[in-house]
Amino acid sequence: MSHSPTLEFVLGLAMHRQIRSPWQKFKQLKRGYFSLLILAGLIVLSCFAELIFNSKALLVSYQDELYWPIFSDSIEGKQFGLDYEYETNYRQLKKTWQMDSSNHNNFVILPLVPFNPTEVDLLDGLYPPHAPSIENQHYLGTDTIGRDVLVRLVYGFRIAIFFAITLLIVEYLVGVFIGCFMGFLGGAFDLFFQRIIEVWSNIPFLYIVMIMSSLITPGFWSLVLIMALFGWMSMTWYMRSASYKEANRDYVLAAKMMGASNFRIIYKHIIPNSISTIITFIPFSVAGGITALTALDFLSFGLPAPAPSWGELLKQGVDNLDYPWIISSVVISLSFVLMLVTFIGEAIREIFDPKHKVYYE
Amino acid sequence: MNNTHTGQNMIGLSLFEPRNDSKEYGQLAFMLIFLIILITPCSSQAAKLPEGLTWLTNNASPEWSSAQAEKGGLVRLNISSFPPTLRTVGPDSNNSFRSFLLDNQLPLVEMHPNSGEIIPVLASHWAYDDDRKTVYYKIKPHARWSDGKPITADDFIFALKFNRSKSIVAPWYNKHYSEEVVDIIKYDPLTIAVIGARAKPQQDLHYYYSIQPRAKHFHQLDKNWVNRYNWKIEPNSGAYQVGKIRKGKSIEFLRKTNWWAQEDRYLRHRFNADQVLVKVVRDPNTAFKYFERGELDIFNLTLPKLWHEKSNSPMFQKGFIHKLSFYNQTEQSASGLFLNLENKKLQDINVRKAIAHGLNFNKIIKQLLRNDYQRLPSFHTGYGDYSNTDIKPLSFDLTKVSELLNKSNWKEKDSRGIRIKGKQRLSFNLSYGNKLHEAQIIVLAEEAKKAGIELKPQYLESTSFYKNVIEKKHDIAWLGWSTGFRPAYWQHFHSDNAHKPQTNNITNFANKEVDGLINQYRLSTDEQERIHLAHTIEKRIADESIFIPSTMVPFTRAGFWRWLKLPESIATKSSKSLFDPFNPTTGGLFWIDAKVKIDSLSAKRSGNGFESSSVINTDYKN
Repeated sequence: MSHSPTLEFVLGLAMHRQIRSPWQKFKQLKRGYFSLLILAGLIVLSCFAELIFNSKALLVSYQDELYWPIFSDSIEGKQFGLDYEYETNYRQLKKTWQMDSSNHNNFVILPLVPFNPTEVDLLDGLYPPHAPSIENQHYLGTDTIGRDVLVRLVYGFRIAIFFAITLLIVEYLVGVFIGCFMGFLGGAFDLFFQRIIEVWSNIPFLYIVMIMSSLITPGFWSLVLIMALFGWMSMTWYMRSASYKEANRDYVLAAKMMGASNFRIIYKHIIPNSISTIITFIPFSVAGGITALTALDFLSFGLPAPAPSWGELLKQGVDNLDYPWIISSVVISLSFVLMLVTFIGEAIREIFDPKHKVYYE
Repeated sequence: MNNTHTGQNMIGLSLFEPRNDSKEYGQLAFMLIFLIILITPCSSQAAKLPEGLTWLTNNASPEWSSAQAEKGGLVRLNISSFPPTLRTVGPDSNNSFRSFLLDNQLPLVEMHPNSGEIIPVLASHWAYDDDRKTVYYKIKPHARWSDGKPITADDFIFALKFNRSKSIVAPWYNKHYSEEVVDIIKYDPLTIAVIGARAKPQQDLHYYYSIQPRAKHFHQLDKNWVNRYNWKIEPNSGAYQVGKIRKGKSIEFLRKTNWWAQEDRYLRHRFNADQVLVKVVRDPNTAFKYFERGELDIFNLTLPKLWHEKSNSPMFQKGFIHKLSFYNQTEQSASGLFLNLENKKLQDINVRKAIAHGLNFNKIIKQLLRNDYQRLPSFHTGYGDYSNTDIKPLSFDLTKVSELLNKSNWKEKDSRGIRIKGKQRLSFNLSYGNKLHEAQIIVLAEEAKKAGIELKPQYLESTSFYKNVIEKKHDIAWLGWSTGFRPAYWQHFHSDNAHKPQTNNITNFANKEVDGLINQYRLSTDEQERIHLAHTIEKRIADESIFIPSTMVPFTRAGFWRWLKLPESIATKSSKSLFDPFNPTTGGLFWIDAKVKIDSLSAKRSGNGFESSSVINTDYKN
């Protein structure tokens, strides 16, 4: 089917006017783009952390039989000819087989860093924290208990970033919808929620968390819930004004006339048209989520021990400035991740900046 | 004996007044009637002293201070927070600073820190009534309050009124001095009797029914007492009185120049520094830096990291700061794991014993605590003859764990190597309320996995931890109890206190036979019988494996600048600290050598040094 000249003209004009999609624009903002690539890489990497940072072996070959300890149930030491009935210590197994000159066929392939995040490595004659050492495979040293700092950083990052993302989804789901309804419906509903939000945001969040965590032992989901309870308000104001503006636009009125339900109008028309507001805030909310969890863990009101956590490492570092590898590892990682997130945020703000928009004539 | 606490509280939870163990209501009713009869007609009239009393005193026990001690100088210590009040009772008073004030309120008599004999302090003589509840005291005629007024019988009678008064807003004191101490009777201005509620062995009476006088002329008991006396300096009987207070920063104590007791036996040659300055330094790391710079004179080095690592800095190596470790023999805190019998899995004694065998305390002691600490043998350790020294704690032994668990049908293992029985997993929450112990708990949990037992560490903020435990909602709790004067079984192991919240039987242990033994122990006034009963009960409790003892610290150690001097014997058998400035029994033994101080400071300025000194005294090592 061939296009009519008019349509082609319109399309061409549109191509010209809009120049490029937001994604293409984003790609051109190198700092933000590479930050996103690095961050995405880190997140993907952390999802496969068990393959790289684990005390279990990747592969064991014993008497011509292959074992995949990471992917299987715990394998007792006696399975590999050792004298104990609990989970095999693969680092030791590797050492034993390497020392044994009569051993030719048996081998162990360990992950890159052969420790898990809660494992305590107590070295003979030395007391934790152990300094960074390639020989001991503690590349960033250990914490005051003897757990590997690098491994805890990685698993701590995974928890923090997924915590921040989950928190963001919950907060935005509630905040965006309530905000939109406030702006769209107006009237009593708007007034009522305005007052609710004003009162709610004056409750000191930290005290509530302290009280809550004294009543229950906080877990991942309960923390998300508590923090979302006090975090959904900020989005409502932005969405309220955005939908307030949109509500009187022609396309919304048209939809109304055609009998679309309020929910449909908001979901199908208003939100897609105010998406730029939402997207712009996302990176900053992620950064906020990470810092909030870190701060709570720092104050011991966060995830319970022995969960790997940046806040807990930070606390240990501050209490033990004599062992600089703890504090420096966590401060550098935290600043780096927050920096990446901020760069992404800046780039997004840049592409949605109305100053750069091409206006219809 | 300056400590009147008969109940025990959990260590690290100083917010709470110790819990009183008297719950005998029948006796209480009787006491109340007795009280009414006693108080109404006669408390204002002079009573008549019973005839035939044998007045005792003790001027023969060896002293433990040094005659070479010189008076003078300044000593600087640190505390972590400024006290919220200078009151010693009432709201907010149970803080770490309170002992500085209370130690300067002398008791009537004390126990000799080495031999345990009764020695005179405020009282010169004492006598026992045949009812085994009453002790008579003669107050030293030269005893004076810090404002110069004499200490008399009226101050003791007032102290009872004071401690029972609602104005002081201190329920624990109200209860204790109403239920435990029946009355104080004045015979003449310097002779009193203290009547306790229950019969006790003679020596124990001094402890359980001890009372410190309160200056009657100073206090005005009304509903404003708490606020009015927040920052008032109460007259005291000890060697020091509070001097300058810099709010939020420091509190100074000044030695009384003509202290009434300075020539009294057992108190002479002690309390030598002219000025004791207690500085507030919030962070322990900062405090240590202050100490190394010479802005503090003394620093407690009990933590292994401080003793072994941090104290290798130049000031130690150059001999400016000396290190001293001193083994003592004091009551040890009953600390360890408390297994709650309300948990179905823990009701099986094989499981409890398996847990005890699955805890690798040796590894902790060796690899975390640098072999400094020792395994605590039993619940009541260090109570002299009362402790049963035949009890040995169960050691880490995986074969025994296997045997025990197999016996109870915990034979299978799940994918993570944890034992299972049907759908049940051998998994418990291990709750704790002090971050200091986290390292040990995590290592124990890791090791217990080898035994197929999962212990999930559960940190609770200290207040909620306390609540959780006292309401018996825990599976296994890690905590320690403060020590008492004699073993206390009723509050911890009697069925009266099992399966109900707000009591100290946190294992919910209830056994008829043991109940009988405990009742006998409580009623007996014969010391030998009590000792025998204590040994029997202790063994029964150990056999039940409801309490798994952790570690103990059988020593005290400190770093101090070289101008501080101690007696040749260094400290006493019951010294809990080497440089305690005020404790009536063990404190105030050190003095400041002014000449050495001048030499040291000039050497420090010129960059010279001395021979380093690190001493471990084992005179009282078991």
